[in-house]
Amino acid sequence: MAEPSIFFAEVNERQGVFHRRAFLLGGFAGVGLVALGAQLAHLQLLETQRYTKLSASNQFNFKMTPPPRGLIVDRNGVVLASNRPNFRLMVSKDKGVDPRATLKTLAEFVPLDDNRQTRLLKDISNAPRKSPVQIMEDMSWEQFSAINIRAPELPGVTADMGEVRVYPYGGAFAHVIGYVAKVNKTDLTPTGPNADPILLNPGFRIGRQGVEQAFDLDLRGKPGAQKVEVDANGHEVATDPAGDIKAIPGKEIVLTLDADIQNRAMEVFGEQSGAAVMMDCRTGDILCMYSGPSFDANKFVRGLTGTEYKELASYDHKPLFNKALTANYPPGSTFKTMVALACLENGYDPATVHVCGKAWPWGGRVWHCDKAHGALDLKGGIAQSCDIYFYQAALTVGPDKIAKVARAFGLGEEFDIGIPGQKKGLVPDTAYKRRAFPKDPVWHPGETPSMGIGQGYTHLNPLQLCVQCSRLANGRKALHPRLIHSIGGVEQPSGAAFGDLPFDDKHIDFIRGAMAAVTVSGTGTGLSDMGLGDIKMAGKSGTAQAFNYTAGHGGQKGATGEWKNRDHAWFIAFAPVDEPRYAVSVLVEHGGFGASTSGPLARELLRVALLKDPEIRAKVEHPLPIPQAPTVNTDPDVVDPPTPAAAAVQTATQAIT
Amino acid sequence: MTVSALTRPGERDRLIVKIGEIDWIFCLTLCLIAGAGAVMLFSIAGSSWTPWAGAHLARFALFFAIMIVLSLIDLRVWFALAYPIYGVGLLLLIAVLLVGHHALGATRWLQAGPIKIQPSDIMKIGMVLALARFYHGLSGKSAQLSWWLLVPAVLILAPVALVYKQPDLGTAIVMLLTGAIVVILAGLSWRLIAAGVLGVVLMIPPVVMFALHGYQKARLTTFLDPQADPSGAGYHNLQSAIAIGSGGLLGKGYGLGSQSQLNFLPEKQTDFIFATLAEEFGFVGCVAILVLYAAVIFMALRTAYLSHSHFGRLAAAGVTATFGLYVLINGSMVMGLAPVVGVPMPLLSYGGTVMLTVMVGFGLVMAVRVHRYSEITSGKGSLL
Repeated sequence: MAEPSIFFAEVNERQGVFHRRAFLLGGFAGVGLVALGAQLAHLQLLETQRYTKLSASNQFNFKMTPPPRGLIVDRNGVVLASNRPNFRLMVSKDKGVDPRATLKTLAEFVPLDDNRQTRLLKDISNAPRKSPVQIMEDMSWEQFSAINIRAPELPGVTADMGEVRVYPYGGAFAHVIGYVAKVNKTDLTPTGPNADPILLNPGFRIGRQGVEQAFDLDLRGKPGAQKVEVDANGHEVATDPAGDIKAIPGKEIVLTLDADIQNRAMEVFGEQSGAAVMMDCRTGDILCMYSGPSFDANKFVRGLTGTEYKELASYDHKPLFNKALTANYPPGSTFKTMVALACLENGYDPATVHVCGKAWPWGGRVWHCDKAHGALDLKGGIAQSCDIYFYQAALTVGPDKIAKVARAFGLGEEFDIGIPGQKKGLVPDTAYKRRAFPKDPVWHPGETPSMGIGQGYTHLNPLQLCVQCSRLANGRKALHPRLIHSIGGVEQPSGAAFGDLPFDDKHIDFIRGAMAAVTVSGTGTGLSDMGLGDIKMAGKSGTAQAFNYTAGHGGQKGATGEWKNRDHAWFIAFAPVDEPRYAVSVLVEHGGFGASTSGPLARELLRVALLKDPEIRAKVEHPLPIPQAPTVNTDPDVVDPPTPAAAAVQTATQAIT
Repeated sequence: MTVSALTRPGERDRLIVKIGEIDWIFCLTLCLIAGAGAVMLFSIAGSSWTPWAGAHLARFALFFAIMIVLSLIDLRVWFALAYPIYGVGLLLLIAVLLVGHHALGATRWLQAGPIKIQPSDIMKIGMVLALARFYHGLSGKSAQLSWWLLVPAVLILAPVALVYKQPDLGTAIVMLLTGAIVVILAGLSWRLIAAGVLGVVLMIPPVVMFALHGYQKARLTTFLDPQADPSGAGYHNLQSAIAIGSGGLLGKGYGLGSQSQLNFLPEKQTDFIFATLAEEFGFVGCVAILVLYAAVIFMALRTAYLSHSHFGRLAAAGVTATFGLYVLINGSMVMGLAPVVGVPMPLLSYGGTVMLTVMVGFGLVMAVRVHRYSEITSGKGSLL
């Protein structure tokens, strides 16, 4: 037998080494376990608060809830802009979500063509993780419920109900109120109110024009938050209503406008291009500010297609402009009221007679009138709107004095009505000539006659003409227009809180008298009767050349021919004549003759305003007696139906109110 | 050499005596840990026995029975089968590389009918057995420093290389460290140990640069700076730390761990189950579990200590080392002290193969205990 390979002593030695080293190993294991315990103590005892916070922020998300946008109502509380429910469909990028497949599936429920899918795919891949991209809105209830039922099988897809702006009157208020539209990148700012993350909320819209833009922050409100428990994939597991933060709704804005007058303006304008502005000439409140043709603001909320936008933008009637503020045209003969007042203020005798023979040679050329008016005094000159009379009247006072009066009446002035976009135009004088024409800085005498009939450099907008007419009608106050009645219940300063005009009352009375003559026996003959009995209208027509057609023929030439070459028709008016309450200015672009095109529109708008005025109503209405229903009734159970006449009266009253 | 003086020869071979020799306190501790695992699995499944808790308990029961049976097998049989088991394991590892089942980017299983075999688990035991078998026949002097040491080097590195190739870094590391521990316990000279440690330290930079896979490198960098990419590669570390930290002293309460219940915690039922326990039961619960693990390790190590045969000593110590490494590596990983390497917490984590390995290993440890007085006559070539 071979020598045993392992000796006893050596075996013991091996055991000894093992025992020592096993002891060491146990020590190491112990140290390791203690180290684990120490790390546990570090995490769970020292830093537990930090991790508890992190855990809570994992577990709970605050989902932003957009505030309801503030309502916009008219002076009587008629809602002009409100919010309606909107079923939206959204997809968010997340783990395990294949947006391409998801969109394909969704296309079975809602219309999503390939182009749109491609575009949405790009949006989704550009969006941050877990932030939803709106696929569609305004889904029908059927589409909404069909998708909601399948939501569990469609990861990353949410269908919810939001709110979207709606304008019940579509076009009538589009220019004043404006619209809201989706937020684009240029709206976002790193600081200030537009840094609010609510702007990134899908479906959130920002005010784009008019009141919606100017008072966007008032209307916007403050977003709230909904506390939701989410799992690691961002799926909502539960909500915690106690943790919700309520959204603060936007402020309600009350306008001075009257929806009935405004709607009537849209009706009577039809497809005509122009604008109408009406003010209460006691307070300065703007009752109507219409620009036509208009557009449906609701389509802008939804987002216009390229073709729709092109059609609007390229239409020669320019529906996208608020002509009440931006249309700058020579005021034409409406300006004669200013020239006449300037004359009177400077000692001109209103009995001064000029003879009109249709043509008047002066300064080396021949000046024309539309017809031979014969001998006229100042009142007749205004009533007949005789150009030859006013060429000469203007020459007696000169441009600077006319301009001073015109500016006192608000012409060429930009008013603070809350919404942006006024083009203030121009009332020229010699200083203007010096400033603007350095090569020919002298006001030539030949430029004064043109100014006398409201042509030449003078360019004004319908709002200014309305203010002018209001101040004339009011006769004292330098009224300012007011469009915003109140914001969130806080009333805005009244337009009547301004000083008196620096003119002789008698002179203004004279102009008013002349304007009353216009609608009785002048250019606007027949317009004084408003169909309201004794309530009569005064006014002044104006016809502004749209282009410089060959001199020699009167305004009538500009009333025919190609549309874009026709004259612009102005009319300013107020009513009632004896105790003015409302003043209006109407412009119809390329409308031809002012008195015949714009005059009836002005009268109709004033008529609606007067009918809505209870004091005027009381004057013109004569309640008719209603025959007493026979009270003899044998059967007490049979109730007499109201007589048809009584029912008709009742309905009519309701209709008018 | 003789057996205990108080026992007649042959008495220790009686079944009833053998069963009495099993360390039942040790077994009870194992049951407690596995039970805690079932409790947690029940919670994270939303208070449901399916899909995890029931299966976990059923497996544990089966493997527990296997462990008891294995503990009754004579140590000399273990000794005789040491090399064959190692050989089969090595062949299976090679087979896995050639025809293995591919899952999650790694090839670790062999499919044999309904049975999935993960050869690396067989090899964990096989390698320990082979090393113990080899050192049993080696003189203490040779174990210190001699050319014979090339044999254990090959015994360790061959399976480690194959497992690493699968790739299964976690298991490869556990096996490499287990092998190293056995070699050290067998009496490797301190100089060689020092040289080895130095070599490993020097090897770290080139290994990290060239030998690690992309995902392995990512795990390493996120371990060094988990906040760098919190929703990407650092997600596991961070969410796990949040789960543990938010547990606090007493935990959020059973079934109320938001991190695990709402799926923020990845692999919550396997690798990260310790974090769910930490979240719901807090520091107190964690320390209790760590104490149980410590108890298992020390009882197993004591068994090794008491064995009269060198084979038994080294085999029991090797299994203990594997188990302890699992606990320490998983614990470090879950607590953010080590990179995420995919090592489960033994007995607590859901998953059959690791539990099987551990329970088979403890079967061997118990066999060493039951047969601690057995004399294995010779080293080389002895087949009973």
